[in-house]
Amino acid sequence: MTTTTGTARTRYRTIDLVVIAGIGAAFGVAFLGYGALYSLIGPLTAAFKPAEGLLVGIWFLPAVIAGLIVRKPGAAIGAELIAATLEMMLGGQWGWGTVISGLLQGGGVELAFALTAYRRSTVPVAVLGGVLAASLEWVWERFAYYPEMSWGFAIIMLGFFLVSGALLCGALGWAATRALAATGALDPFPAGRELAGTDRA
Amino acid sequence: MSTAIAAAVLEARDLGWRPASRREPTLSGVTLHVPAGQRVLLAGASGAGKSTLLRALAGLLDPEAGEITGSLSTPARPGERGLLLQQSVHALVAATVARDAAFGPENAARSRTQIADAVRGALAAAAVDVDGEASPFELSGGQQQRVALAGSLALAPDALLLDEPLSMLDPVSADAVHAAILEAAAGRTLVVADHRTARWLPHVDRVILLGPGGRILADGPPGTVPLPVAELPPLPRPAPGAEVAALEAVAIRHRGGREVLHRDLDLALRAGELAALIGPSGSGKTTLLRVLLGLEAPAAGTIRRPARERTAFVPQEPEHSFVARTVREEVTASPWAQDEAAAEALLERAGLAHLAAANPFTLSGGEQRRLAIVAALAQRPRLLVLDEPTVGLDDARLADVIALLDRAREEGCAIIAATHDARLASRADRTLALPARPASDRPVSREITPVPHPRRTAARACNPLTLCAIGLLAAIGSFGVSTWQIGALGLLPVLLLAPLAVPGWRSAALRLAPVLLSAATLAWTTALLSPLAPLSASAWLLGAKEASRITLFVAPGVLALASVDVTALGDALRIRLRLPGRPLAAGVAALVRTGHLRAQWERILTARILRGLGTARSPRVLASATLALLVDTLRGAEQQALAMDARGFAEADARTVALPSPLGRADVIGALVGIALLLWPWALRLMIG
Repeated sequence: MTTTTGTARTRYRTIDLVVIAGIGAAFGVAFLGYGALYSLIGPLTAAFKPAEGLLVGIWFLPAVIAGLIVRKPGAAIGAELIAATLEMMLGGQWGWGTVISGLLQGGGVELAFALTAYRRSTVPVAVLGGVLAASLEWVWERFAYYPEMSWGFAIIMLGFFLVSGALLCGALGWAATRALAATGALDPFPAGRELAGTDRA
Repeated sequence: MSTAIAAAVLEARDLGWRPASRREPTLSGVTLHVPAGQRVLLAGASGAGKSTLLRALAGLLDPEAGEITGSLSTPARPGERGLLLQQSVHALVAATVARDAAFGPENAARSRTQIADAVRGALAAAAVDVDGEASPFELSGGQQQRVALAGSLALAPDALLLDEPLSMLDPVSADAVHAAILEAAAGRTLVVADHRTARWLPHVDRVILLGPGGRILADGPPGTVPLPVAELPPLPRPAPGAEVAALEAVAIRHRGGREVLHRDLDLALRAGELAALIGPSGSGKTTLLRVLLGLEAPAAGTIRRPARERTAFVPQEPEHSFVARTVREEVTASPWAQDEAAAEALLERAGLAHLAAANPFTLSGGEQRRLAIVAALAQRPRLLVLDEPTVGLDDARLADVIALLDRAREEGCAIIAATHDARLASRADRTLALPARPASDRPVSREITPVPHPRRTAARACNPLTLCAIGLLAAIGSFGVSTWQIGALGLLPVLLLAPLAVPGWRSAALRLAPVLLSAATLAWTTALLSPLAPLSASAWLLGAKEASRITLFVAPGVLALASVDVTALGDALRIRLRLPGRPLAAGVAALVRTGHLRAQWERILTARILRGLGTARSPRVLASATLALLVDTLRGAEQQALAMDARGFAEADARTVALPSPLGRADVIGALVGIALLLWPWALRLMIG
C-alpha cells in the first residue's frame, strides 16, 4: 500500500469517494427542505418567474463544496450528480431534466477547478465555478424549459443566474467550506487543513 | 481461497502517528507484539489512542492524513483483519442485510456463487437473526453490529479488531453481540478496545492498559493489570418539589404507523427528580420522548409539561444541536438563555471555561456532551429531557455528566432521560420501562435477493437501464411538440401506459402532481413573457403548448423511475455498462442511506426548533442545519471509509456484483415503448402539424 505523490491526485482514496457521494446525498436531503426559501421571494416570482434565478446558485453548492474539499478531478461533478439523482429518484418535478441540470451545473464548477489544475481552494475559483455553472444551466433552461421566452427576459434571467452563481454558489459555498473546516470535520483533507488556517494542538 | 480459520500475528515497533491537523502525535513509541490467536483487551480512558492503535493494527492509517513513524506489520490480503466500529450504522453500505455482507467478497472480485456461499456462512456465524432482504438501516444497534460482524467474517479474517463494539447497545443486545463476537473469534486473533472491561476479562488472555499518546501503562494477564475505577458522586437528596410533568394513561404509536406500541403509560415527575425511561432499542423510547416534548400527539391519554421555553432537550448526538462558532456563544444561542453571567458560571461548573473560545464541533465527545447539557441548562428549564446522555462515555466522563445533572436537580430541575445505561438508570427516582417487542422465532433466510418493494408494478420486470432509456427517449421525443394539439395528443400514450409503471392511480397522481404544477407555472410564464402580447389568447395557446411539451418531457421519466431501485441500477451500470466499480459503489452506498440521512436532518431541525431558534422555514435554521448535517456526514464518511477499507474497498477496482442484471423479453417491449414515445410526437407533427 504505497502511494507516491505523483499518483496521489488522481488515485481516489475511499474517503474521497465517500465524502463526494456523502456531500451530494446530504444536499439532496437538505434541498427537500429548501422549498421554503422560494416562499421568501414568492411575491417577486409570482409576478416575474425569472426572478427565481436569484436562488439558482444554491443548487450548485454540493459541487463547489465537494470540489473545494476533495480537489480531485470529478469531485464537483460527482457530488452534484448524486444530489440530482437523489432528487430525481424521490420524484422531483423535472425528472431526467434534474440529472441533466446536475451534470451541467457540476460540470461548470468542475471546469473552474480544472482550470487551476485542482490546486486551489480560493474564493475566485469558487466564484468562477458558480458563474460557469450558472451560464451552462441558463443555456439548458433556455433550450429545454423557456424556448418561447422573449430574448429580453431571457437576458434578464441570465443576469440573475450569474449574480446568484457568483454569490450563493461561489461566496456562500466558500464560506460554508471554511465553516466546515473550523469544525475539524475536514481534517483528513489537505484543503480542509489549509482552510482551517491554524493547526489545532 | 480456503475457508479454514487462521490467526494473524500483529506487530508494531516504535510506532508513531501524528494526524496532519495536529502538532502532537496521538501515538508515539508504541511497541506491541500480539501472537497468533491471542485475545487482547485494550483498556484506557477515552483519548488514550485505543481507536488509533486499532486502525494501525488493521493497516488502515492513511499516509495522506498524517505522518507514520516506526514499523507495522501490514495485512497480506484485503479483509485479512476485520474491524468493527463503535457506531455500527457507519459500517453499513447496502440496502439489504445480505448485500451488505456481500460487500467484501464483491470487492475481492469473487464469483456470484462464491459470494452467495460466503454471505450465507457469514450471516450464520455472526448470528444475524433477520432476513437477508431486511434493510440494515431499520435494525436495532445490536442487530446492526452483528450485520457489521458478518461483513467482516465474509472475508474470512485472521484477526478481529473491535473498537468499543458494545458501548452504544442496550444490555440485552450487548450480551447477544458479545456472545456472537466470542463465537466468531474462535481460532482468530482478537483485539478489543473497551473502557468497560468487566464483560471481557473472563474471555481474554491479556490486558493492555493505554495511557495518553498510546503509552502502554501496564500489560499482562487479566487480574495482574490494575484497571482504573471511577467513583460516581453520591446520590443527591433534593427535597421533593411540586409536580413538573406528568403522563396519564398515555398510549403511543410509531410515527406514521397505526399499531399502538404501548398503552396506559403513567409517570408523575416532581421538581428535582430524575426519571429513567428504559427499554431495548426499538421499544418506543424515542417516540415517547417526542410525545412528551409535544412534537407528536399521543394516541391516547393526557400529558402535562412546563411551557416550551422552560422545557429543554438534549439530543443523543450533541453535535445535532450545535449552532454557534464558539462554546461561549453556544450556551447563550437560545433566545431563552440570555443571561451571560449564568452562562459563564455554568461553563465553569462543567469544566469548560478554558474552552470558551473554541469551536463546539472541535471538542471531545465528553466535552460536547457536557456543553449540550450546559446550553440546555442555560434556559433555566423546569424540565430537562435527555436522549441517551451517557451512551459511549467512560466512567470518568460519565461522572462529570452525572455531577452536572445532580447539580441541576438540586436547583429544582426535573430530568427525564431515555437511557440503556444501568449506571445512570440506577440513580433514577422513577423508572418507566417499555417492554421489548416480541421477537419472532421463525427461521431466517440468508439468501441474496433483489431489494424488496412493497408494491409490484409491471415495469419492474424491466432492467433499470431499460426504464431509464424509456424516460430519456420520451424526453427527446417531446421536442417534436410544436403546437398544443400535438402536445395534447402526444400525452395520450403516456396516460395509457402509466398504469404499467405505478401501482395505482393514487400513486400516479402523487408522482405527477409536482410535474403538472410546474407545467402550469410554465404555461403562465410563457403567456406572460413570450414575445407575443402578454396574456393574449395566442400567448395562452403558446403557454398550453409549452405546458404539454414539458409534461411530455418529464412525465414518462418520472413514471418509469418509480419502478427503478438504486441498488439494481448500480448493478446494471456495473454489469451492463462496465462503469468503474469503486465510484459506483460509493454512490450507491450514499443513496441507500437516504432514509437515514432524512432522519438525521429531522433530528437536527428538531433540536433547533426546541431551542427556540426558529422554524423549519427560517433561512438561519436551514443554514445551520445544513452545516450540522454536513459535519455529521463528513464524520460518518471518515468512519464509513474505514469500515469499507477494512473490507478491501481500497483495491476493489475489479469488484464484482452479487446479483445478475438480466435483460429479457420485458426489455424488448420496454425498448419498443421507448422508441414509440420518441417517434410519436414527430409522427403527429407529420400528420397534423
